[in-house]
Amino acid sequence: MKKNKRLNNVGIVLFFFGPALLAFEVVFMIPFFVGLYLTFTNWHIINNDWSFIGFSNYVEVFRDKTFLTQLEFTIWYVLFTVLISNFLAFFIALALTSGVKGERWLRAGYFTPNLIGGIVLGYLWQTLFSRVLPFLGEKYGWAWFETSWLTSTDKAFWALVIATSWQLAGYLMIIYIAGFSGVPKDVLEAASIDGANRWTILRKIVLRLSVPAIVVCIFLSLSRSFLTYDLNLSLTKGGPFGSTELATYHIVQKAFLSNQYAIGQAEAIILFIIVAAVALTQSYLLKKLEVEA
Amino acid sequence: MNKLKRQSLLAACIVFLLGTLIACSSGNDNNTAQNSGNNSTVENESKQSSQADKEVKLTFFNTSAEVNTVFEELFKKYKELNPHVTIELIPTPIGGAQIEIFQSRLASGNPPTISNLDAGHIYQYRDKFLDLESEKAKYEELTLPGAVDGGVFEGKFLGIPWTAQGYGLLYNTRVVEEAIGGTFDPSTIRTRDDLAALLDKIDAAGNAAPVMIHGADWSLGAHYFALGFSLQSQNIDENIKYWEDLKAGNASLADNAVFNGLMDTFDLLKQYNARKNDPLVANYDLDSADFAKGNAALYFMGDWTWAVIGSMEGRDEEFGILPLPISNNPDDFGNGQVAYSQPKLFAIDNTQSTPEQQQAALEFLEWMLTSEEGQNAIIGEMGLMMPYKNLKAESSNVISKAVAEYVAAGNTIDISIINYFPSDYWAKNGASMQKYLTNMIDRDTFYQEIEAYWQSVK
Repeated sequence: MKKNKRLNNVGIVLFFFGPALLAFEVVFMIPFFVGLYLTFTNWHIINNDWSFIGFSNYVEVFRDKTFLTQLEFTIWYVLFTVLISNFLAFFIALALTSGVKGERWLRAGYFTPNLIGGIVLGYLWQTLFSRVLPFLGEKYGWAWFETSWLTSTDKAFWALVIATSWQLAGYLMIIYIAGFSGVPKDVLEAASIDGANRWTILRKIVLRLSVPAIVVCIFLSLSRSFLTYDLNLSLTKGGPFGSTELATYHIVQKAFLSNQYAIGQAEAIILFIIVAAVALTQSYLLKKLEVEA
Repeated sequence: MNKLKRQSLLAACIVFLLGTLIACSSGNDNNTAQNSGNNSTVENESKQSSQADKEVKLTFFNTSAEVNTVFEELFKKYKELNPHVTIELIPTPIGGAQIEIFQSRLASGNPPTISNLDAGHIYQYRDKFLDLESEKAKYEELTLPGAVDGGVFEGKFLGIPWTAQGYGLLYNTRVVEEAIGGTFDPSTIRTRDDLAALLDKIDAAGNAAPVMIHGADWSLGAHYFALGFSLQSQNIDENIKYWEDLKAGNASLADNAVFNGLMDTFDLLKQYNARKNDPLVANYDLDSADFAKGNAALYFMGDWTWAVIGSMEGRDEEFGILPLPISNNPDDFGNGQVAYSQPKLFAIDNTQSTPEQQQAALEFLEWMLTSEEGQNAIIGEMGLMMPYKNLKAESSNVISKAVAEYVAAGNTIDISIINYFPSDYWAKNGASMQKYLTNMIDRDTFYQEIEAYWQSVK
């Protein structure tokens, strides 16, 4: 009887868990390990050769100066995107939970950029940066906008950061709003009776109690901005002269344009390790700041 | 009862899971079998085609993305004439990930039957395509002299030519004539000094910017800079030898008269560039429109730009093409010739396709290239030049007509050396050209970057 029951449990687990597990295996785990194996071979689509060559692809990666430069570029991009998008999202969320008129409409409005795909969004911003702003800049003599932002490395960097932050902020805002609504009203009331001003309440209570939301938001914005590809493709195409290729874009170019698949894949593995390490470390550290109400 | 139900549910689950696993693994086996044995086709497929005999399904991979719809119309027309042949288009995005789609098709054992590819890609994947030896004589008869040679790689005829392109310094006749105050004879521009004088006159007239340099990497890297390799001599073998020397580090660009001349001309163009203030904006539609409407007198581009300007409202009527002079000796190679190539070829898959499919593909291609409907579509609707004799359609493309005059006189530069270049050369050389265009690097650094790239190529 007991044995039968256990068998039943296994069946139920398989029934609910099986399909998801299968899908996960097929579209994620198997390609991941095949990809990992690929980095130790000299595979090329033309020769279809799978000879084992050890770590030489990884050695090549560290010789690829462009990859290292672009990795550094990516890290700066991620840093600023995460800071700006979270800062924006936090204060927009704060403003939109304080009882402004038309709150719902505004929330929907800020969230909309998320419903537009990265490619379309990139083209929108591309037109803005390369056509609209230079036109206005010339008309009104704004030196900053007289040339397209996408033709110099530094300005194109900020163009990427601005466009990504704009898209991410609305999404993160929703999470922050959810986080804020979890802050108990009685605590806030008690604080204001004790004479705390708004700034103190924000700093000492709201911020502390919404740490879980902050952890989630930083994790999401980190991983999403590390893996930005579509926006990069449609906004700058890696230009000018390949100086704004984010890591993922560089990997795709390496594999499919330069036909160095195994090296490209090795770069992808390295990027994976970096993203995983950064994201996990930050959530581990920030989790420690969590407090109970 | 309940227990029985649960147990049968469990059994069903396990069967389902195992079933999918088996399906997966057998699928894999099939794939490896296909990959290992060339020409061994999936049994099912060959059975089907032999059963129905006539029903043939072809796939057509198209990298001329701007004319996807014209091809689809042609497939429909062909289906009306040959109801048993269905052709499905595999489209690619304009200027986007094209060859990636081809690669993934090939890697997954599902290659397109017909591929419209860059000649260089056909060379790269030369083992995958059908040798068209049996068709060679027929196409030599149909096409202009030398056209078939453009589809021959290592002695095998793999790609059927269907379109030809020329590029150089396009000019807007009205603007140039207004600036010089009289009729313009393109044969008067044979040296860099001639060109400089012309640019100066246009600049002085003040109605239009003298020249438009399109700042995209493909234009600068593939069309402008790589021209230097084709201009080394009229003999492609010598050009390849120079390229090999450069890769091995035995030749230096700074000592090469052709490259120095080419870059001197570039300096001249740069000085008169319409986009001088922001050279890398590189909006192709806008640059072409400014040239077509007379805001720029010259334009370093090719006859394909007709696809943009042909249907434009308020454009000028007459355009022509000038060779790009690279020295002050009018007789130097390149000063009287325009670059000419067959950029795209049709190739037929030889890895997974059945002989019936290959045969049907050949018949379709011949129909498309020789029938009036096909030529009308290619010349009339796509606005392309066909390297074929006795054409049944007339082109409206003024620029390609101008190129055709150079072709007829034999004044062309054979740029087929680029077919042997690695697939990222235009992006890498183009990036260095962009730096040079924006004065970020000087000539020496530029040459160093380019040499470093070529030396890294194996």
